[in-house]
Amino acid sequence: MSDDILSQLKKTSMFSGLSDDALSVLAEKAATRKLAKDDVLMRKGEAGDSLFLIHKGWVKIVTVDSKGDELIINRCGPGEAIGEMALLDRGPRSATVIALEPAEVLELKQDVFQQVLDQRPDVSLSIIRSYSNRLRFSTTYIERAIDWTQRIAEGDYSFIDHTQPGLKNTASDDDKATQLLSAFFKMVKSVKEREDGLKLQLEKLTFEIDQVRRKQEFEEITSTEFYSKLKEQAKALRQKRAQG
Amino acid sequence: MNKGKIVSIHSFRGGTGKSNTTANLAAQVAMAGKRVGVVDTDIQSPGIHVLFGLDETKMGKTMNDFLHGKATIREIGFLIGDHTGNVAGRSKLAGKNLWLFPSSISGREISQILKEGIDFNRLNEGLQTTITEFDLDYLFIDTHPGLNEETLLSIATSDILVIILRPDNQDLQGTSVTIDIARSLDVPNLMLMVNKALPKYDAVELKKEIEAQFNAPVAGVLPLSFDMAENASSDLFSLRFPDHEWSKGLRAVAEAILAVK
Repeated sequence: MSDDILSQLKKTSMFSGLSDDALSVLAEKAATRKLAKDDVLMRKGEAGDSLFLIHKGWVKIVTVDSKGDELIINRCGPGEAIGEMALLDRGPRSATVIALEPAEVLELKQDVFQQVLDQRPDVSLSIIRSYSNRLRFSTTYIERAIDWTQRIAEGDYSFIDHTQPGLKNTASDDDKATQLLSAFFKMVKSVKEREDGLKLQLEKLTFEIDQVRRKQEFEEITSTEFYSKLKEQAKALRQKRAQG
Repeated sequence: MNKGKIVSIHSFRGGTGKSNTTANLAAQVAMAGKRVGVVDTDIQSPGIHVLFGLDETKMGKTMNDFLHGKATIREIGFLIGDHTGNVAGRSKLAGKNLWLFPSSISGREISQILKEGIDFNRLNEGLQTTITEFDLDYLFIDTHPGLNEETLLSIATSDILVIILRPDNQDLQGTSVTIDIARSLDVPNLMLMVNKALPKYDAVELKKEIEAQFNAPVAGVLPLSFDMAENASSDLFSLRFPDHEWSKGLRAVAEAILAVK
């Protein structure tokens, strides 16, 4: 069993650089967990005391927007580590992780993890490297978001049609950021389309004069004594001017 | 005798840019070499006189004093060209024949005027005296929004009525009533001006739609402009930015006024 885990650990980006010797220390302490589709591996806000390494299948990293709808911020697959942030800074889980399909993960508990970190600087280094990758992805994500926001500020929505949210599990950070942001910017575009629709409606509305109200208001004004006198005087004035 | 034309500028609701339009139209007509007067109907609130660079504290006597026989019209008129300062747009009016006649026709005062017997004929005589004394070609009246009695007086005496509206349902509804009133009072020349049109609108289509709706000419479709909003009340926009789309639309309205025989 431990050998099987060892071979799995070897395939993860965080530990692939470690010697067999170092890996076997970890493998001894790691446990396998199986997830069915839609199983929740961790919830945002929970206290976190383990690190997960994905062996099989894909999971989604999600957060919840103010309306309670799920917003996917990333997808992770075989070889990737999740939950390592809470392990290091002891903070609560920063996002919720849900299985997209039947998946298998390796779980490393915090005390084991800490032990390994103390003893093996190479493991620490490997973990720092994985943080660095995550940070790089965040930078790409933010850059892309800024670029698109600028285009929208300039009135260019055309690029949104060329993006597709989450069709494939691509490797490059750039493609991944594009897919993840695509869902959000499609929402922006639908807001814009709704607004355009309202403007069109406004143009059509120009035809909607309430003729009954028009007549009522006219009669309200013209039925006064002041008005009939004014009308007479105005008529006389017009005649005088015409002769003038 | 009836040389000068009375031009009333009206809008059913506030916020249409009426004072700004009146000041710019009067300025454009004066720039065309005409002798022009503007009656500012509400000197208590910042309006036309501010656009012309005049301070209400300097305006002692008003049209009201004149209509009550307490002042001569000569004491009321301010020659704008003498008060332009160094402001880019306004200073172009130096040497032009453009006078401002401050007045204060609040609801209370109009009822007082009516009670004291200043009726339509007396108002009209006052306006005619103003035209004759200053030898005016055009006398613009910036009316109050809505259709209260003083506005009806202004409409009744007008040779030309310009109704400003925004392209929205409420303005169109109100404008329909104003048009019916103007026709009932035999106003000989009626024209519409669409202001604050969203740039998305096709101005030609909008003009066609509104003209068909009211069977009245739309003399100009002026865009909603942030430049305009920013500049508002500090200078005469159409003189300062003559190449701006808003200014072009405004000049079209000024030309329509000048074209009335």
